[in-house]
Amino acid sequence: MSPRRAAREPAFATEGGGEVAAAWEAMPRRRLAALGKWRNPIGLAGAFIVVFNVLVALFGSQVWRLDPNELAYIRFEGPSWAHPMGTDELGRDTLARIIHGAQVSLQVGAISVSIAFLGGVLFGILAGYYKGVVDAVLMRLVDIMFSLPGIVLAIMIAGLLGPNRRNAMIAIGIVILPAFARVVRGAVLEVMGYPYTESARALGAGGLRIMLRHVIPNIGAPLLVLVSVYLSVAILAEAALSFLGLGTQPPEAAWGSMLSTARTYIDVTPWLSIFPGLAIMIVVLGFNLLGDGLRDVLDPRLGPHVGDVPVPAKK
Amino acid sequence: MGGYILRRIAFAIPTLVAVSIGIFLMVRLLPGDIIDILFGGDLSASEEVKDQAREQLGLNGSYPEQYWRWISGVLQGDFGFSLRNTEPVSNIILDALTVTIELVVLGLLIATVVGVPLGVLSAVKRDSGWDFVARVGGLVGLSIPSFWLATLLLLFTSRVFGWVPPLNYISPFDDPIGNLSQFILPAVSISVFTMAIVMRMVRATMLEVLGQDYVRTARAKGVDRSTVVSRHALRNALIPVVTILGFEIGVLIGGAAIIETIFGLPGIGYVLLQAIFGRDYPVIQAMTLMIAFTFIFANLLVDILYGILDPRISQG
Repeated sequence: MSPRRAAREPAFATEGGGEVAAAWEAMPRRRLAALGKWRNPIGLAGAFIVVFNVLVALFGSQVWRLDPNELAYIRFEGPSWAHPMGTDELGRDTLARIIHGAQVSLQVGAISVSIAFLGGVLFGILAGYYKGVVDAVLMRLVDIMFSLPGIVLAIMIAGLLGPNRRNAMIAIGIVILPAFARVVRGAVLEVMGYPYTESARALGAGGLRIMLRHVIPNIGAPLLVLVSVYLSVAILAEAALSFLGLGTQPPEAAWGSMLSTARTYIDVTPWLSIFPGLAIMIVVLGFNLLGDGLRDVLDPRLGPHVGDVPVPAKK
Repeated sequence: MGGYILRRIAFAIPTLVAVSIGIFLMVRLLPGDIIDILFGGDLSASEEVKDQAREQLGLNGSYPEQYWRWISGVLQGDFGFSLRNTEPVSNIILDALTVTIELVVLGLLIATVVGVPLGVLSAVKRDSGWDFVARVGGLVGLSIPSFWLATLLLLFTSRVFGWVPPLNYISPFDDPIGNLSQFILPAVSISVFTMAIVMRMVRATMLEVLGQDYVRTARAKGVDRSTVVSRHALRNALIPVVTILGFEIGVLIGGAAIIETIFGLPGIGYVLLQAIFGRDYPVIQAMTLMIAFTFIFANLLVDILYGILDPRISQG
């Protein structure tokens, strides 16, 4: 392990006595404190944006009943009461397309993060529980995947599988899987050091039982934070892939591909470039804020983070 | 120190070998036979022609044989030929690397030159209006898609200054000023995310360092505030920041891959994307390998830099 990585993952490497005991003592109180801490304004702002986004995706098309693919209006209109976000190069209503884009981005986020979650939890638990050779092999695989920038790997997988949304979701899921595997492994190593895991083993519990009953329920906090942060990563990645023509294909509306088309008409109307980008930024900001807030509330052990990079331990 | 550097290099080589195997397998195992795609729809193509094509592409023989042929060529600087214009891939790589490395270096420069002072300012004037603006700006910077920012910047310069960057690539060796005017917008676009990370990181570490005993001691000795910040605190606050630079170089390379397409810069990302759409497999393999190589090499440099900044690491 490189020295930087060791410095970056302070909370996860603890297998010794003192720190584990301290964390153990802090646990019940931390759980109780969680409720009071929901006054955390950053997390609340994030939660508000996320909930709003989900509502728009679920019910937006019932409230704003225009068809996102209907070519029925005047082209390149600016914002007006009839079309609050204007119309595009084929005379389609931009607001209706933005709403459809919200559905697309939420679907991509949910499915690709689920892929990463399931795969990452499986690999992380195997590595953290069995240690030794299994751990070494799985973590080397993770290292290899980390040696290509995420978006490049996603471009390659999505491109080779063929450009469409399903493949983009698979690609994004695979790319963020190692991040989950690494965090889960660290958390498992930590939980395995707690006295209750030792007691369970002493009482004769088998590997499967320890994992299902003791390990998985106790790594929920870091996982929840990770899910929120990586939902934002996945949504941003899908937008980028669609922008490059490797994700959702036209004529279907997705924020990334809308921006890509809008670029051609930037001299005609700037409006087409503004709203989809704003939508991406607000939603990504929402998930980032929510992740920050959740981290503060649920998992002080993880320490201060910047994006998904943990800041080195306070000593 | 020398031993530490050698250890880090020794660690990078197996990773690079493993990555090359990964890329090799990915191109072959993902669905879609290269030959079928190349002869797509051409049902009249005989097996003989296909075999010939396979041989030409180095696709005959077992996987270990193919890998060996590919990698021994790569080590001699022979990456094969592009399927589209039969140009040697090594020529394409050299041109593309120049563009991408310039873009990434510029991006990193902008991100640190702007991000570090902002982080210091934010920490020193904690909970002030400045701090609030910097923190909110940091969060927005983390969330804004670089390709949208690029569009907005283009829109801004063309509407306000009536200026758009030159569309055809200008080499820095022919016309440095023209080259810089072409690279400035894309470099700013990819730097914003890293800038936000650096800013937030510097702020966090700076706040911590400012609370340390030796900072208080320096102040008590009568050293004035600005000297304490610049001489005592900042030096130590920057060490952890170096640790994330390696990771951030990856982010910048990824950002460059997208931004190059917008600005029509013939860098690695642009070439890779064209190759993917054109199913130009030798180019895809070569470009991803070069990206991984650049990334691993940059991380190696950062590791070494970290060892120099923090002697505890290299002695450990």
